[in-house]
Amino acid sequence: MPNALGNLIRKEAKDMLRDPKILLSMILMPLLMFPIMGAAISLSTSTIKEATRSVAMAIMKIDEGTISNQLISSFKALNISLIEVKPSPVEEAIQNLRQTNITTLIIIPKGFTENITSGLKGELRVYSILRSISLSEVAKASVVNVPISIYERTLVRRAIAQAFPDRDPENVLDPVDVKNFVIFKGKLLNVSPQLLQGIFMSQSFGFPMVIMLLLISAMQIAATSISIEKEEKTLETLLTLPVGRISILAGKLAGSTIVAAAGATASLIGINFYVASIFSFMPSTSIDLAEVGLQLSPLAYLLLGLTMFVAIISALALAICIAVYSENVREAQSLVSPLSLLVMLPSVILMFADIEALPVFLQVVLYLIPYTHVVLASKAAFMENYAVMLRSISYITMFTILILYVAARIFMTEKVVTARFSWRRKR
Amino acid sequence: MEKAIEVINLHKYFGKIKALNGLSFTVDPGEIYGLIGPNGAGKTTALRILATLIRPTSGSARIFGLDVEREANKVRRIIGYLPEEAGAYRNLSGTEYLKFIANFYFRNKREIKEAVYEAEEISGLGERLRDKIKTYSKGMIRRLLIARTLMIKPKLAILDEPTSGIDIIHAYHIRRIIKNYAKNYKVTILLSSHNMFEVEFLCTRIAFINKGRILVEGSPEEIKTRYEARDLEEAFMEVARSA
Repeated sequence: MPNALGNLIRKEAKDMLRDPKILLSMILMPLLMFPIMGAAISLSTSTIKEATRSVAMAIMKIDEGTISNQLISSFKALNISLIEVKPSPVEEAIQNLRQTNITTLIIIPKGFTENITSGLKGELRVYSILRSISLSEVAKASVVNVPISIYERTLVRRAIAQAFPDRDPENVLDPVDVKNFVIFKGKLLNVSPQLLQGIFMSQSFGFPMVIMLLLISAMQIAATSISIEKEEKTLETLLTLPVGRISILAGKLAGSTIVAAAGATASLIGINFYVASIFSFMPSTSIDLAEVGLQLSPLAYLLLGLTMFVAIISALALAICIAVYSENVREAQSLVSPLSLLVMLPSVILMFADIEALPVFLQVVLYLIPYTHVVLASKAAFMENYAVMLRSISYITMFTILILYVAARIFMTEKVVTARFSWRRKR
Repeated sequence: MEKAIEVINLHKYFGKIKALNGLSFTVDPGEIYGLIGPNGAGKTTALRILATLIRPTSGSARIFGLDVEREANKVRRIIGYLPEEAGAYRNLSGTEYLKFIANFYFRNKREIKEAVYEAEEISGLGERLRDKIKTYSKGMIRRLLIARTLMIKPKLAILDEPTSGIDIIHAYHIRRIIKNYAKNYKVTILLSSHNMFEVEFLCTRIAFINKGRILVEGSPEEIKTRYEARDLEEAFMEVARSA
C-alpha cells in the first residue's frame, strides 16, 4: 500500500527530525562543530605566525670578529628585533632576560670567527626561554634558525666561489635537476608524484571518511528509530495498525535514510568549511582534476551511487536487526556501536594502504566485511575499473538481501515485540 | 449468531514460563467484556494475542470469524488496540498523530477529517491538540490514545488497563467516553483492569482469570450473588481463596 508507506515515511522523518537530540547530534553539531574547529585551528595558526613575527632576541657577542658582525647583520636584515647585551655569566644574563619579553639568547663565544676562517666549526650557543607549553612558544624559539641557516648558506656559497671561481655555487649545491613525469591511467602528465600526492590523499582520505560518516550515522539513526518506538511505547500500537510489517520495516529504512542523508550533508558541509579553514594558509596546487584523470565518469558516478545505496540499506537493516533486542535508545546505541568497527576498520586501513599490499589474513578479513567493498568501489571509480565496482556491488547486494531477509523475519514474527538482549523474564 | 470473540483452549509459553493455560471464552457483539486478575495472570498476553501482536503456542482465537494468526491483516482492519503502557510520538502534535493513524483506515480526505474531528470530540483536548505530544500530561496522552483507538470505529476495541496510572479526573472522563461510545456505536469492547469499580461500571460480563485460565465468568451482578459478596472485590477474593 504505497499510501501507507508514504504515511510511515513522513511520520518517521518528521518525528526524528523534530527530535532535539537527533537534530543536535546529527545535524547541528557537525554543521557547527567542524567550522568552529577549523576556525579555531586557523586562529591558532595565525596567532603562531603573528607571535613569530614579533619575536625579540638578545645577542651576547664575546667574539669580536667579522663573521660575528656579519651574522648580526643577517638577523637585522630579516627585521628581527635584536638587543645586544654585555658579556656576563650565562645564568645572570638569562635571569635578567626572564624579566623581559625576550625569547632567545644567542651567545657568540670567543674564537667564533677564527674557527670558521681557519676551516673549523664555529660554535653558537642558543638559549630558548619557554614561558608556557604552547606551539607558539616553540615556534618563537625556532625563529632563530632562519637567519642562522641563511647566513650558513651564504658562507658555503662564498667558500664554493673561492674554491671553484668558474662555477655557479648554486649548481655545486644542487648538481642534479630532476624533471618529473607521471603516467596515470595511460596518460603522460608533466607533474611530480609528490604534487599528485596531495590530490590522491584528498581522494583516498575523503571518500572513505564520507562513507564512514554516512554509514555510522545511518546505523545510529536506524537503531534510534526502532528503539525509540520501544522506549516511548509506540511500537505495539504501530504493529496492530492495518499496514504490512514489511511496509513498517520499509518505512523505517526510508525514514532513517532521509535523516542519515540530512546528517551526512550537514557533516559534509561542516567538513568542507573545516578543510577550507585549516588549509587556507597552505599554497594550493593549480592542477585540474579532469586533466589528471581524477574526475568520475557518469557511469562511475552511477555505480558509486548504487554502491552507497545498497550499503546504506544494509547498514540500516543490520542496525535495526540488532536494535530490536534493546529496550531503549541508550541500550540500542550501545548494541549498535560495535558495528561501527565494520565500517571504520576497512575505511581507516584502506585510507593508507592498497588491499593487495596487506598480509593475506588481513585481506581475507577485509574482503569478508561488506563495507570494505564500498571503499574499494570508490577507489575503483577513479580508476574506471568497472569490473571491481560491479563485483563490489554484487557482494554488498547479496549481503543486503540476506540482512533484509533477517530483518523481515524479525518483523514478521513476535520477536519484534518480545526480543530482549538480557535474559530477564519475559511476559 | 457470529461471535465477536471466540477464544478456544489458548496456550502460550514464553520459554519455560506458561502465560496462558487453556484460556477459553466468547464475547457477543456489542458486549463490554472485562478480564480481571492479578499481575501475571495472563490478561495482557491474551489481549496481545487477540491484537495480533504475538502468536499462541496452541489453541485458536477468532475475531468476528477471522483467525488472529492466519488472517492477522484482516483482523487489524477491524480492531483498535490500546496497550497498557502506550505512548504517542512525542514530536508530533496531537492532531498530526490522529491524522497519521486515520490515514491507515480511511482512503479519502473527508473520511480522515471526520475521524480526526471525532477523536477531537472524544478526547476533549480542544486546542491542546495543536501542541506537541511531549507537552501532554500522562492523563492527556491516555485520552488522546483512547480517542485514537475509538475514532476509527473498530468492530472490536481491545483496551488493556484503560485508566491505569492516571488521576481520578482523567479516569472518570475515560470511563464515560468508553461507555458512551460502546452505547452509541454498538462497538464490542474487551478490556482488562485491576480496578473493580471500573469493571463494574463498564462491563456487561466479566471473567476472573488466574494462572492463564478463567476461574469464573458472568455478569458483575451474577458473580456477586454467586459468592454472596457486597462488591466484586469481595467476590474476587473469595474466588482466589477457593481456587
